[in-house]
Amino acid sequence: MLVLRRRAGEALLIGDDIEIELLAVTAQGAKIGIRAPRDTVVLRKELKITQEQNARAALGPPLQDFARVIEKLRA
Amino acid sequence: MPSVDTKYFGTMDYREESVYDFPAGLPAFVDHRRFVLIELPQHAPLVFLQSLLTPELCFLAFPILVVDRDYHLGIAAEDLRALELNPDRQPELGTEAMLLALLSLHADSVPTANLLAPVVINIQNRRGLQAIRHDSLYSHQHPFELRTAEQSC
Repeated sequence: MLVLRRRAGEALLIGDDIEIELLAVTAQGAKIGIRAPRDTVVLRKELKITQEQNARAALGPPLQDFARVIEKLRA
Repeated sequence: MPSVDTKYFGTMDYREESVYDFPAGLPAFVDHRRFVLIELPQHAPLVFLQSLLTPELCFLAFPILVVDRDYHLGIAAEDLRALELNPDRQPELGTEAMLLALLSLHADSVPTANLLAPVVINIQNRRGLQAIRHDSLYSHQHPFELRTAEQSC
């Protein structure tokens, strides 16, 4: 992973048309501004993680194993 | 009484009071805006969040304190506002809000519960959403220790 040190007000560029600016740094966290083309998807990574985790959770136990799995969960 | 085709329990009658609205759906399932909470004595404390849109979508979940009895609520103000809960403080469990941890099963390890993003339901208006924490206190794959559940029953 490329690691850069930036101060508030400084920016960096990714490719030709994505700009990321560090707006402010506080004890609560860093405030980041992103300038990118309209069709670029910007997501908090936790949302992506939650989407993937939900997809996995939705599989549930196979129907034929349902009783056994449920019993184990409650054991 | 309306009825719903469920993933695990065939066709079930349900009461409107058991239906919860998720105006934004759930991440990865944004079209699913209405869920029935199925609570059966023989499966307690496990509960089932069954989509009204399709029988195939049914989440297994535990009330969050079953997974971690010391769970520290960290619902973001914007999520509290979306649920019409007081955004200035965390809600009271059981009277104002219900928190559910969705479960994932794994072939080669213990089940995990998503404590990073619990399902939060406003008990008064029966509106819900999945509230992703802004901190990093909890994992999206918290190993569910079976003994923990036994102790809190």
